[in-house]
Amino acid sequence: MGGAWRQHVSDYDQKSAMLFLAPMLAVLSVVAVFPVVYSFWISLFDLRLTRPRSVPFVWFDNYAHVFADPLFWTSVARTATFTVMAVSAIMVIATLMALLLNEEFRGRRILSAVLLVPWAIPYVADGLMWKWIYDSGYGALNGLLYQLDFIDKYMVWLGDTRKTLPLIANAFVWKEVPLATILLLVTMKSIPADLYGAAKVDGANVWQRFLHVTLPALRPGFMLVMIYETMMAIRHFDLFFILTEGGPANASHVLAWDVYVETFRKLSFGTGAALAYLIALITFLLAFSIIRTMGKKL
Amino acid sequence: MARIRFEGVGKRYPNGFVALEGLDLDIRDREFLVLLGPSGCGKSTTLNMIAGLEEVSEGSLFFDDALMNPVPPHRRDVAMVFQSYALYPHKSVYENIAFGLRMRNHPASEIDRRVRDAARKLEIEPLLERRPNQLSGGQRQRVALGRAMVRQPAVFLMDEPLSNLDAALRISMRAEIKQLHHTMATTFVYVTHDQAEALTLADRIVVMKDGVVQQTGTPDEIYEQPRNTFVASFLGNPPINYLDGTLEVEGREVSFRRGGLRLALPPHVAQRVASQSGRAVTLGLRAEDVDEHGTPRVDETVHGRVTSVLPVGSDQFLGVEVEGRPQFFRVGKEMRHREGDNVALVVNVNRLHLFDRESGRSLVW
Amino acid sequence: MTPRGARIGRSLLLLAASLLFLGYVLAPVAWLVSSSFQSESEITSKPPHWIPHQPTLKNFEAIFGAGERDVTYETRRKADPSSGGFIPSTAKNLLPSMWNSFIVAISVVVLNLLVSVPAAYAMAKIRFIGRQTSIYAMLVTRVIPDIALVVPFFLFIRKLGLLDHVGSLIVTYLAITVPFSVFILVSYFESLPDELDKAARVDGCSRLQALLRVFLPLALPSLVAMILFAFLTSWNEFLLALMFTQTPASQTMPIVVASFTSDFTISFSFINAAGVLAVVPPVILAIVFERYIVSGLTAGAVKG
Repeated sequence: MGGAWRQHVSDYDQKSAMLFLAPMLAVLSVVAVFPVVYSFWISLFDLRLTRPRSVPFVWFDNYAHVFADPLFWTSVARTATFTVMAVSAIMVIATLMALLLNEEFRGRRILSAVLLVPWAIPYVADGLMWKWIYDSGYGALNGLLYQLDFIDKYMVWLGDTRKTLPLIANAFVWKEVPLATILLLVTMKSIPADLYGAAKVDGANVWQRFLHVTLPALRPGFMLVMIYETMMAIRHFDLFFILTEGGPANASHVLAWDVYVETFRKLSFGTGAALAYLIALITFLLAFSIIRTMGKKL
Repeated sequence: MARIRFEGVGKRYPNGFVALEGLDLDIRDREFLVLLGPSGCGKSTTLNMIAGLEEVSEGSLFFDDALMNPVPPHRRDVAMVFQSYALYPHKSVYENIAFGLRMRNHPASEIDRRVRDAARKLEIEPLLERRPNQLSGGQRQRVALGRAMVRQPAVFLMDEPLSNLDAALRISMRAEIKQLHHTMATTFVYVTHDQAEALTLADRIVVMKDGVVQQTGTPDEIYEQPRNTFVASFLGNPPINYLDGTLEVEGREVSFRRGGLRLALPPHVAQRVASQSGRAVTLGLRAEDVDEHGTPRVDETVHGRVTSVLPVGSDQFLGVEVEGRPQFFRVGKEMRHREGDNVALVVNVNRLHLFDRESGRSLVW
Repeated sequence: MTPRGARIGRSLLLLAASLLFLGYVLAPVAWLVSSSFQSESEITSKPPHWIPHQPTLKNFEAIFGAGERDVTYETRRKADPSSGGFIPSTAKNLLPSMWNSFIVAISVVVLNLLVSVPAAYAMAKIRFIGRQTSIYAMLVTRVIPDIALVVPFFLFIRKLGLLDHVGSLIVTYLAITVPFSVFILVSYFESLPDELDKAARVDGCSRLQALLRVFLPLALPSLVAMILFAFLTSWNEFLLALMFTQTPASQTMPIVVASFTSDFTISFSFINAAGVLAVVPPVILAIVFERYIVSGLTAGAVKG
């Protein structure tokens, strides 16, 4: 059959769809096309706001500069450490919480309402709250441990370079767990009750049902949450600003903080753009795998 | 108030799938036309094209000589009843029925009159303030009918509206729909896969398969004069029995032979196939076209071994193995049969069907 | 174990787990609230007073009254013995900044609705050419981290001279919330039966009318979820606000609160009170609309 066939959608529908889509496409080109293209362009220049008039074109010098900087690599290491710590903790705690909320019992509604509190508060408040708890002079952490006789005098927490990352991770985990829990809970709830019924008839006890029905069915949701939280952890900035400003002695100097320092403290926009571009690239490659799976589902 | 014409209409999707091809159909004003066929045959696609819900890929669609291809559904004077009823869950029954009229800016008093009128006719007046989720399946179906009725459209479309109802309700609703067609005096186009429904309701039936029209005609024509094996087997319950065999011509007598079975073909058939001795054919014999009484002539009888006996209230179905092929016949209840019995059934040779073995095309009609 | 014994055992286990749950989630916040009602002298006790022995509202008064007082170095020391006198000069910015946050959040929500709802309907219900590409595009943009926006947006906004303007935040936040908004809405719209759409169009609705009169009322849970996400994202966002705002004219709440935490001379009780104020609006919203979050995120089954 030759060109006698028209398109399969009516003109009216096609026009309507384009009209409906236009605002979103405009916004998406702002958020996707523009920053990606423009920041790549900027990263090819040595742009410093300290000497705005001289903006030489330097090809990929900025990138070379970034790769040659040992601080960059230690930032990568620290970001990785932070991410692994945070994501593992999130997955464990969220799974336990989702299991609890999946059960039917009185008062469950209260728990699910309360669950949203950490999610709702801004990171600044989260940071402020934990900073106060971790305070070496009067903080609640010191106070609690002291009262329970675990320590005999108040200790330094955030200021101790060995403890900095885990403590920040804790603040991060506390705020991220609710969303992870909800996503896992939603997956759990979509497991058909018949599967559990069949397992019971087959003689499986509670633990076996968990192992052979819940866990396998949970896997796609688990993956989704893990990838999402990984992305969130890699690019996280707020807590590092509030709690430690990258210190002490660079102990919490992660990639996001590096971009901030480079761009807004050193005012070197060229290298800042290069750095930001690299981070975006890493995150994008990492997330490309979910796009594949999710795109198929739609 | 509408004559619908398809000229060379086809539907193809970007992935190459062809849902409909070469459709030429002339639906007369006020007729009750049924589109019949198995799932995937293109009947729903055709219906959706009349509604404007599917785009015509090729060819032209006319309502009374007006080209409808570019006209979106909300500008066509068409009403539709869906298989799942598609009632608006957030609106009351009243609002569901009134919605189409509101969208077309009828005055409020007019809307009220028409809605209550329809509700009375469908006996759903007490339900007007309820929500769809408070209704039974049968009630929802009536609301869906009401919604379409009040519009008094030029064309009334129905997409398997009865398939979600239980058997008893289905039969009574068929009668109501037929009655509705009389009162509304407008064109009805009805889609179903149920051949009994088609035979009951239709003025004309269009039998479809794989996007192609197999045959168009009155129920009687389709049933009595099927043009191919598909049409013949799609209508009739239990389905028509087929036996492969060959033609034997002896002078002016033509008969069908398979192994030990020989059936004389009546004159109106014989004259069409007179010179085709040895031709491979398929014989079609409907379950009800045999009898246990009557004078058995050797060339009008089939013999076989009973393989199953299924009583069905007023008759019984006999599963009989004839010349190695399983067949199903419907006979009266007077004679008792047992599995393994040999039985001889007199065939009404005037009602035999004959098809070309390869193409399935009828050699008679 | 007897059935009754198993049931009691289960109840006890659930109770213990629930208490752990509540403790983990609420304890830090409870401490924040408790601290905000303590005076400076009380808050610096060792070990801490978990429940204030002498609760005071002075911290909140300091915030609400900050605009009226003229804060200088001298007045700071003398002003309020019980609060230690260390109230930051920027205290008066907190309430106006909350107002800025509110303006930004509401604008972002409204714009999100206008942009995302039609797009989601089209992608879910209209089989148009380019549909698959649009879906991929939407998913891909969700992946772009805020960091990537910093440099290009900053330079561009600076060039436009809008650096200290609330509008630049609104546009930026719109850009980062729309992909997720569209995603939530598309998932939910897709779960609504196609036949409803068809019925509406045959009944005389144009595409727009079908969207407004049939789909929107049915998609309420997802709309609420979307509004909530857009509002909270805008209210809580920090990094971009840090970049694009320079004076109290446009600073949003997180910026002002952050400025308190980096000032080491500020009284702890005051900061905690500021923290509580920052926390109250989002928490109230979340708790009130909790039901919609889950149902809006999952495609609900709607029978028609």
